[in-house]
Amino acid sequence: MSSGGRILLVDDEPQILRALAINLKALGYQIETAQSGEEALQKAATNRPDAVILDLGLPGIDGVDVIRGLRGWSDVPILVLTVREGERDKILALDAGADDYVTKPFGMGELLARLRAALRRAAPDDSGAPVISTPHFTIDLPAKRVLDADNSEVRLTPTEWGIVEVLVRNHGKLVSQTQLLHEVWGPQYGEETNYLRVFMAQVRRKLEPQPGAPRYFITEPGMGYRFELPEPEQVVLSG
Amino acid sequence: MSSGKLRVFLGAAPGVGKTYAMLEEGHRLRDLGRDVVIAYVEPHARTDTIGMIGDLEAVPRRQIEYRGSTFEEMDLDAVLRRAPQVALVDELAHTNIPGSPKVKRWQDVEALLDAGIDVMSTLNIQHLESLNDVVFEITDITQGETIPDEVVRRASEIELVDLTQEGIRERMASGKIYSAERIDAALGNYFRPGNLGALRELALSWTADRVDEAVANYRNLHGIESQWETKERVVVAMAGAVGGDDIVRRAARLAMRSRADLLGVFVRPTEGLTDDTSDALATQIQLLQSLGGKYHEVVGDDVAQSLIAFAKGENATQLVLGATRRSRLQELMGGSPVARVVRQAGDIDIHVISYEGARPKRSRPQSRQLLSPARRISSWVFAILGPPLITWALLSWFDAPLHNVLLVYLLAAVGAGVLGGALPAAITAISGFFLANWFVTPPVRSWTINSADNLFSLIAFLFVSLVVGLLVGLSSRRAAESRRARAQAEALASTAVGGHPVFGTDERGLVRRIRETFGLEAASVLRRDGDSWVTLAWDGDIVLDRPDKGSEVMDLTGGAVLVILDGQLTTDDRAVLRAFAAQIVQALEREELEREAGSAEAMAETDRLRTALLGAVSHDLRTPLATIKASVTSLLETGVEWTPDQTSAFLRAILEETERLDRLVGRLLDASRVQVGAVHVFFRPVGLDEVVGAALGGLGAARERVIVDIPESLPEIQTDPALLERAVANLIDNALIWSPSTESVRVSAGEIARRIDLRITDRGPGIPLDSRDAVFQPFQRLGDSPRSEGVGLGLAVSQGLLEAMGNELIIEDTPGGGTTMVIGFKLAGPVHIPDTLTTDSHV
Repeated sequence: MSSGGRILLVDDEPQILRALAINLKALGYQIETAQSGEEALQKAATNRPDAVILDLGLPGIDGVDVIRGLRGWSDVPILVLTVREGERDKILALDAGADDYVTKPFGMGELLARLRAALRRAAPDDSGAPVISTPHFTIDLPAKRVLDADNSEVRLTPTEWGIVEVLVRNHGKLVSQTQLLHEVWGPQYGEETNYLRVFMAQVRRKLEPQPGAPRYFITEPGMGYRFELPEPEQVVLSG
Repeated sequence: MSSGKLRVFLGAAPGVGKTYAMLEEGHRLRDLGRDVVIAYVEPHARTDTIGMIGDLEAVPRRQIEYRGSTFEEMDLDAVLRRAPQVALVDELAHTNIPGSPKVKRWQDVEALLDAGIDVMSTLNIQHLESLNDVVFEITDITQGETIPDEVVRRASEIELVDLTQEGIRERMASGKIYSAERIDAALGNYFRPGNLGALRELALSWTADRVDEAVANYRNLHGIESQWETKERVVVAMAGAVGGDDIVRRAARLAMRSRADLLGVFVRPTEGLTDDTSDALATQIQLLQSLGGKYHEVVGDDVAQSLIAFAKGENATQLVLGATRRSRLQELMGGSPVARVVRQAGDIDIHVISYEGARPKRSRPQSRQLLSPARRISSWVFAILGPPLITWALLSWFDAPLHNVLLVYLLAAVGAGVLGGALPAAITAISGFFLANWFVTPPVRSWTINSADNLFSLIAFLFVSLVVGLLVGLSSRRAAESRRARAQAEALASTAVGGHPVFGTDERGLVRRIRETFGLEAASVLRRDGDSWVTLAWDGDIVLDRPDKGSEVMDLTGGAVLVILDGQLTTDDRAVLRAFAAQIVQALEREELEREAGSAEAMAETDRLRTALLGAVSHDLRTPLATIKASVTSLLETGVEWTPDQTSAFLRAILEETERLDRLVGRLLDASRVQVGAVHVFFRPVGLDEVVGAALGGLGAARERVIVDIPESLPEIQTDPALLERAVANLIDNALIWSPSTESVRVSAGEIARRIDLRITDRGPGIPLDSRDAVFQPFQRLGDSPRSEGVGLGLAVSQGLLEAMGNELIIEDTPGGGTTMVIGFKLAGPVHIPDTLTTDSHV
């Protein structure tokens, strides 16, 4: 299901590099690896990758500095790998221009979903299905309509629809609170995160099978929201 | 028809047993033959109360429809028709459902009273209108249902149903007041011991005021005008004499009888110290304090005046003294202090108590004054009477030649000098000179002297005796001075070694002692901290927090200074003050050393923890590793052909064990961060529901057993979302481990008193009060945990993380059994999202 593309993998751990490379190659991606920030910047300049997977804890140049270096001249999608305790780094990285993050240790399925979402941003033409179907509901973006599992229409308020639309268009990708407020309420909004919480709760009550344990509309506390599509294929490590 | 009597059972909080007490009284009256019915009782599903209703007749309630629901209210008309002698009506402050004949239940009750029916009712203190604002201050809950005070004050009887706050909490914990599901943040907050204590005090004092009111009415009715003393104060003068314990005890008994405050006062002379009684004084001070008295020290030479001044200053009503132990001679010369106290007492009652140690002691030198009055008086008596007596004796019995007579006079002058100093010696010498001239030198009985020899002898005698008398007098003064100096030195030495029994040896006690000893307005010890000053200890009416606020500054050590205010100090005082200062320096250094010793202990503790950690961790780490290695080596085994199911089973085992390892490592990292104080906190405003949602994400199947009740409309809190998520996840994990698998764990939150409480409620075995500190220690488990994961780090990590973020973690009992962990959050201020989250640039 993957379309291929050149991926630059940056991590100082050879084991992680090897496991990722095997997976990504098996899915049809071309792989370039780098084990330090300097090497990463250099290889990104010469090879022009379609996406960068970057570990934040690098020897030499710090991962966040690599992002800043890349963003100086490139708009390439960047997916960062962080550790659980690297909350601050994660936010710094997103601030510096990273697209999304995955926390180590991660499942391969999660990493690939994030990678696909990031690649989709770079090539929006195939952002694809304007109609998204899940076992619990169907969202028809052009028709601005939501149907439940029995094909009867779920009524959403304009604000609720706005939230759903932004999240679904960016499915798989983290949408920050500020971005969501800007797109749904308008650019003068940015701090009214309590609005978001109330409306997200309403959306969940209408669409989630278990609103208390959401499967589709995921909250990243203090950061933003993510519309998660259940992946049809389960990636299992091979070899 | 005379109107009925209202009797109110007043309580501090729900659950103190008001309804129960009312029902009990109802039974008693019924058994006495009165016609008692229950007009309305709300048992709140409390079994004790339901049991208490027993066979009391109940008037059926009225059913009222309101907005589609049916409510039950007291049927006033039915009760009036039934016309009992006594009606029991619960919850006097209750507001009736709209559609009822009267708005408030107390209006129903007034109708009953008007009909001549006696009414017993119940009321919680928070429903009284006049206390509404106070109750809000205490509990942060606005009471919707209030009742005018006059209604309650018109009651012929108000009975306080009192239960200690511990008692209420115990009943709460055992589920006797509310069921666990009903305890939300507001209710949990309401039943905090501090709240209950304050409400109880309110109930007690309100009831007491009603009693006062009754007394005032009585006095008005009977024309009693004179003001009664409202609060008595008994001052006991402490002499530090042997046997003085009795005085303190008597004073304490006196104070107890009249419900008075007890104050002990010791008058410390300006110079020196009472010489042989400091042990006795110390015991008496301890005794005083154990009897609930407060110890004070005043400085003054006039004991009587100082005592009266102190007693008046403290508004004392009674003053207790020991009978004087002065000799009669002292009483004649100086007047007994007791007599002077009585003269000056004014309207203070004086109690004089004789005691064992009151017999006069003659031989003991008084070091208070340089030479004791007795000694000075006797020297003057000797100086005036001595020479004539000597002359008379010498001339009557011996025919002594002039030089012998003069030698005897010289002896007398020396004696007077030893006794009373230079002046009595000079008087003796001069009177000797004239007596010898008149009685001894020829011609006798005339001032003329006809022999040059005799004239020379007389003049020489005068000179010699004056000089000798002067010298003797001076040296005797010196001796007295050195005695006093020794007394002071001993006092200081005793402070240095053992510490003063009351003030201790810390700088606070010493500062207080300095202030009281020298009668200063204020004194404090400051330490320089960069450009500012840190107050280490202070005593007095104002805090001298900068050296320039005092009148005198004395350098101590290590940048510390002693600052005093209003010091009119003599040179001697200054010397003693300096000695005190040296004590403070020692105290400071001692504290410093203790701190260092403390940190050494903490390091040893850390070492012990590390060792324990290694032991526990190696086991918990190896178990999943063993599974993973076994599974992987099986898969790599070339000789065996695994079916797809088998392969999948191996892979699943690897995944599960990896996740387990990940959790364990995460917890260990958190624990070690907490342990070394390296938790980096990154505050952002966030909704509690979001954090709890994320914490539940990692639970897997156990998620089904957690009931979440957190409104999204709850204001955001300022916290580190990632740290809080881990802390909450650990607590939920722990709650799940300890709860029986049939019971669910409840996670609820609510806003109360400008903060938000998050409550994690389990139905496990609960944590006994005395183990509550221990469970937060790493590697602690109460007994054997049913399902073990991790190494008993969960609670320690949670508490450490919460502490690092400045949140409280409180353990409460779940009503009906179990533990409720309560995390308190202060509300976030104005919400600001840090710029770091702006990701618009690459949308």
